[in-house]
Amino acid sequence: MSKLSKLRRREALWFYLFASPWIIGFVVFLLGPMIASVYFSLTDWDSFTPPKWVGLDNYRRLLTDDPVFWKALWNTFYYAAISVPLGLVLGLWLANLLNKQVRMRKLFRTLIYLPTLVPLVATAMIFKMVLAPSGPLNDLLGVVGIPGPSWLLDSMWVKPALILLSVWGAGGATVLLLAAMKGIPRELYEAAEVDGASSLRQFWSITVPQLTPIIFFNLIMGLIGAFQVFSQVYILTKGGPNNASQTMVPLLFNEAFSFYHLGYASALSWLLFAVIMVFTLIAFRSARRWVFYETEVR
Amino acid sequence: MSVRAFRATPFSYATLIVVSAVLSVPLVFVVSIALSSDQTVNANTFTILPREFHWENFTRVFSTELPMQRFLLNSVIISLGAVVGQVLSSGLVGYAFARLRAPGKNALFLIVIATMMIPAQITMIPQFILFKELGWVNTFLPLIVPNFFSNAFNVFLVRQFVSRLPSEIDEAAMVDGLGFFGIYRRIMLPMLAPVLIAIGIFTLTATWGDFMGPLIYLNDESKMPLALGVQYITSTSQALQAPPWNLVMVGSILLTLPMILVYYLGQKYLYEMDISGGSAGVK
Repeated sequence: MSKLSKLRRREALWFYLFASPWIIGFVVFLLGPMIASVYFSLTDWDSFTPPKWVGLDNYRRLLTDDPVFWKALWNTFYYAAISVPLGLVLGLWLANLLNKQVRMRKLFRTLIYLPTLVPLVATAMIFKMVLAPSGPLNDLLGVVGIPGPSWLLDSMWVKPALILLSVWGAGGATVLLLAAMKGIPRELYEAAEVDGASSLRQFWSITVPQLTPIIFFNLIMGLIGAFQVFSQVYILTKGGPNNASQTMVPLLFNEAFSFYHLGYASALSWLLFAVIMVFTLIAFRSARRWVFYETEVR
Repeated sequence: MSVRAFRATPFSYATLIVVSAVLSVPLVFVVSIALSSDQTVNANTFTILPREFHWENFTRVFSTELPMQRFLLNSVIISLGAVVGQVLSSGLVGYAFARLRAPGKNALFLIVIATMMIPAQITMIPQFILFKELGWVNTFLPLIVPNFFSNAFNVFLVRQFVSRLPSEIDEAAMVDGLGFFGIYRRIMLPMLAPVLIAIGIFTLTATWGDFMGPLIYLNDESKMPLALGVQYITSTSQALQAPPWNLVMVGSILLTLPMILVYYLGQKYLYEMDISGGSAGVK
């Protein structure tokens, strides 16, 4: 008995030894900084002089006194609310096409997936040129007789331009959804076929319900990612023109590293966290109504 | 039995061809710019399909005053450092969570899962202060060292992977008198290869393309990785003089090619991991 417990103790010791990289990392790079961040958010601090306690004033100023914050919040919503569903619908549509018995499927799949392998900085560089007033996009629009706007320079078109950039990467969702489609039992389709269901009917009644768990997962991950959009905004527009494309993280970055408003920026980061949490919770709430799980009995 | 849902119509082909073509336009355009002469750059007369083929741009980019070699080397150093750190630490931690018994382990694992929900922006400012105090600003250390402490997602991946391996293997090794580290080193590590390779690929692609981290920590041109360097070139060009777009696009291609290569070589490991990760194609 004592031998066993000694063995157990030794095992526990090894566990903590092996897990120590994560435990130390958690304390030093996450828990400590989180506590520090709460404190910073309650101070006025430029990192050079000692922090000055201001209580909840940073939050009050953000919520009632800072029009740029509300604009950035609205822009971030706009971006997330359009780019994420659009990317998913496009991904679903393309995956469904690739799931058919098409020739050269591998070639199509590669061409659709390739854009997602391009690092974001390179993507931004590419779109800077593609979206130039006399760039290829406006050339193509000109061919069909539409005068293209000056995308990144036009406060009305800059958000659609950023959404366009994100939709270029719809191949990521396509490949994931395609893999999930391969896992849907063929018998379901054969039964529907016997019943005379059209291909559209089969898509809506079999493919889509069977995919809802993975669509849901992609929706959550996509929303979280979209709320944190940074590089393309920073590189392409710096939030402009006239804050028309300013979003939460670039705003936070500017406050912190351009103006050294470290307290204010910390408060902003907690509001960003709150927004992300609220939307994740809403998505989870809604999931009960539309996500279908095989094991569920209704 | 032929099923209507899987039947390709001429319309399916038409759609696929149009969509693939449209998605390829930006890529073709980049190549076209990269192969342009300096005159074309200055006159801003690019065409979607390449009309001139200045392949020498791909060698010239290394001999201009732009420190492109340096950028590339920095990217390699930072990425390899990060990969080594994640692979070494995640394997060890994930194995411990999957196999070793200890009081408090389950509570600790809940914390691991919970940390995945904290956005990086929360810790960004305090971490910056921490690294500044350590004198690590303008060095690679803030971008490499945290990787030696693993991260929640990778720990989770390894733990799930180990849980699926039969436990008789390590029990037998235990009976043979191998210690816990011996089991990990000699029995587990070789079996973990697929998941560790997948983690290596994730870390490599994330670090190689990372923009915000280097933007926060690296100010010297000579310290910048390629992802930051490419952007830096376009942002510092004089207002009167357009950025050397042909060379910038060569840089963008150099930034992209390793990612395509890594994906091509690694896809079988990625599919083996059955990753449902990825972000719905939203960048």
